[in-house]
Amino acid sequence: MDDYKFLFKVVLVGNAGVGKTCLVRRFTQGLFPPGQGATIGVDFMIKTVEVGNEKVKLQIWDTAGQERFRSITQSYYRSAHALILVYDISCQPTFDCLPDWLREIEEYASSKVLRVLVGNKIDREDREIPTHVGEEFAERHNMYFLETSAKESDNVERLFMQIAEDLMKQARMTNVPRYDSNSQNINDSSGQESSCCNRLT
Amino acid sequence: MDNTLPTEFDIIIIGTGLVESIISAAASRIGKRVLHVDTNDYYGGTWASFNLKSLQEQGTKPNEKQFENERCLQIGNDVFSIQDFSEKWHIIEHNEKENVTQTPEDNEKQLVETFEDKVTIQDESKEAKPNVNETKENSFSRDSLLNNSRKFNIDLVPKLHFARGEFVQLLISSNIARYAEYRSVSRVLTWVNNTLEVVPCSRSDVFANNRVSVIEKRMLMKLLTSLDEDDDNYKDNQDKTFLEFLKEKKLTPNLIHFVLYAIARSTDTTSCSEGIASTKRFLNSLGRFGKTPFLFSMYGSGETTQAFCRLSAVFGGIFALDRAQVGLMIEDDKVTKVFCQGQEICAEHFVLGAEKIPKLYTEHLKVNSYISRAVFITESSVMPSEQEHLTLFMYPAENGKPIVTVLELGSLTGTCPKNLFLVHLTAKQTTTPQEDFKHIIDNLFQFNDQSTEDIRKPKILWSCYFSLPETNSSDLKGTNHPPNLFVADGPDLDLDYDLTIKKAKDIFKQIYPGDEFLPRAPDPEEIIFGGEENEKENVEVTDTLQKDTTSLNDNN
Repeated sequence: MDDYKFLFKVVLVGNAGVGKTCLVRRFTQGLFPPGQGATIGVDFMIKTVEVGNEKVKLQIWDTAGQERFRSITQSYYRSAHALILVYDISCQPTFDCLPDWLREIEEYASSKVLRVLVGNKIDREDREIPTHVGEEFAERHNMYFLETSAKESDNVERLFMQIAEDLMKQARMTNVPRYDSNSQNINDSSGQESSCCNRLT
Repeated sequence: MDNTLPTEFDIIIIGTGLVESIISAAASRIGKRVLHVDTNDYYGGTWASFNLKSLQEQGTKPNEKQFENERCLQIGNDVFSIQDFSEKWHIIEHNEKENVTQTPEDNEKQLVETFEDKVTIQDESKEAKPNVNETKENSFSRDSLLNNSRKFNIDLVPKLHFARGEFVQLLISSNIARYAEYRSVSRVLTWVNNTLEVVPCSRSDVFANNRVSVIEKRMLMKLLTSLDEDDDNYKDNQDKTFLEFLKEKKLTPNLIHFVLYAIARSTDTTSCSEGIASTKRFLNSLGRFGKTPFLFSMYGSGETTQAFCRLSAVFGGIFALDRAQVGLMIEDDKVTKVFCQGQEICAEHFVLGAEKIPKLYTEHLKVNSYISRAVFITESSVMPSEQEHLTLFMYPAENGKPIVTVLELGSLTGTCPKNLFLVHLTAKQTTTPQEDFKHIIDNLFQFNDQSTEDIRKPKILWSCYFSLPETNSSDLKGTNHPPNLFVADGPDLDLDYDLTIKKAKDIFKQIYPGDEFLPRAPDPEEIIFGGEENEKENVEVTDTLQKDTTSLNDNN
């Protein structure tokens, strides 16, 4: 059964083809899916990690391809605890689009969301964006920064563990956000005044 | 970014209103190749939610641009879109005081702090109490509200969901519930003898209510229990009105009011069977979540269309918003292709939102009825209390005015900034929205800029009115539109989405008669990559789900 103490929603954004799905699959399943092609029916992936003896469940959401024509639903950003903005270090246009993504994030995500900028594909020889450029951008916009390779599994574990640790720290400080298992959530709220909102599942 | 779309699909859906989005999800879910486009750069069409600035822009929006292409029929009409939009400020533009003492930058910072909302749900219990000691007179200005524009999610079509209604059941059975969060409505109010009263909904409510005498309490419980349990006893009452039926039960006028106007949302002429059905719909959904039978979608009703679109995308549906030039290409009385920004894209079936129907088909159409809508931003609740409420307020029909559904939303719903309320009024149009709601404003509200002041009434800081056509696609039957083109209706007056689901399901069944409508989507844990899905496991999970639902029913 689920015996985790915290559940955090982490969402990924960034241009099509920067390796969002690969990062998620590498972290949750330890594999690098060869070839493109969206995985049909996959909504989010879950991985439970341990931070200082506590079990933390990360629910990692992918864009479902809606970024291809800039049609991500606003609701995708709602109630995300952390947001990973990904670009491809070997593809300038994916970096140039970052300000557009930031605008969308400001508009729809919570102002308190933990934001991380990730330059992916450092295994590639044809780098176009030097590390310091990414670093500076992240600093300017108050984001964490990390370069990764989903293919070589570089920094992927570190990325998600860092997020889990930071969110835990936040959660400890405010005593929230703490989730219990879903069914309980429903039972808790039935028949009595609840300040919490309901998830139906 | 590569902007070219693939050019072959099974079904193309134009418009992201709720009916279209449900069909999109359902088709994608059974493996159809779905292209879903919209000329707007936002989701939802006439069902959308807007932030404050974008809603204001609805009034000044030019009609869809014409484009030259003789080979196709441009989509879009003025008949089924939002009508007579008007909006007005009732507060000053800047707050002079603040500007004198602070630099603009500081000012903005402070305002952001004032409005800082806790989006994380669990934070909210602490934030729920409005600051009672706050005596900031008129601290709101247009600038301060506009600076927080994005904290507003203002619905064109606000809806509530019966906790055991068809919509909630569909959300659960299809697993779409995971895309959205809901808050329960915390009280139902009505207007009786020129005062606002809380409608006792549940058993505990009935007994806690001190405006209802002990005898009345027994009577009401008896009636509600008998309506809930008995099905056959009321067949003899078919010719009566619900009012006559209630009078025969010897209920006091007070109780009749609660049941007739608030619980059953009826009028004096509503038939007995209809009244009983509405009462039962209400009673059936009690005791599942919160104190009332209703849920409201966090961040506004516009989220619902997006939840269905997300499911569609997860199963491979391709989404492209903000496509300026879209047209239908017709050959031999059938739609064969969609023209989309220079591309020609083919499919077998086509679904159009009502407001996207080409003018050719709407020329001779008259809309039979409209929905009157008003939205106010106020600085206090119609019935202030210690904790923030999510209020449904049924204003009975009177003096030729329609029944008005009033929804008051606080910041906990994620639809407006802290210390403010969003008030939605909805009614079947009799004259104009302004006229249909005038008596309610007179009785319950005051405009912030009016000369006389009544401290008991909430002040309206900003107001907005518009009409929405109540579409009924059967009106289109005579217009010889192509048989493989399906029209998805726009908004209706029902409190919930029951009608909407039915309409979407009807169209889906016409297109794919043998297929299941929105079967349960698998949970992430069940997906095995590169292998077959384990059928047995699936079945087990469904079983547990059903068990859960039953146990919830037992809570009643």
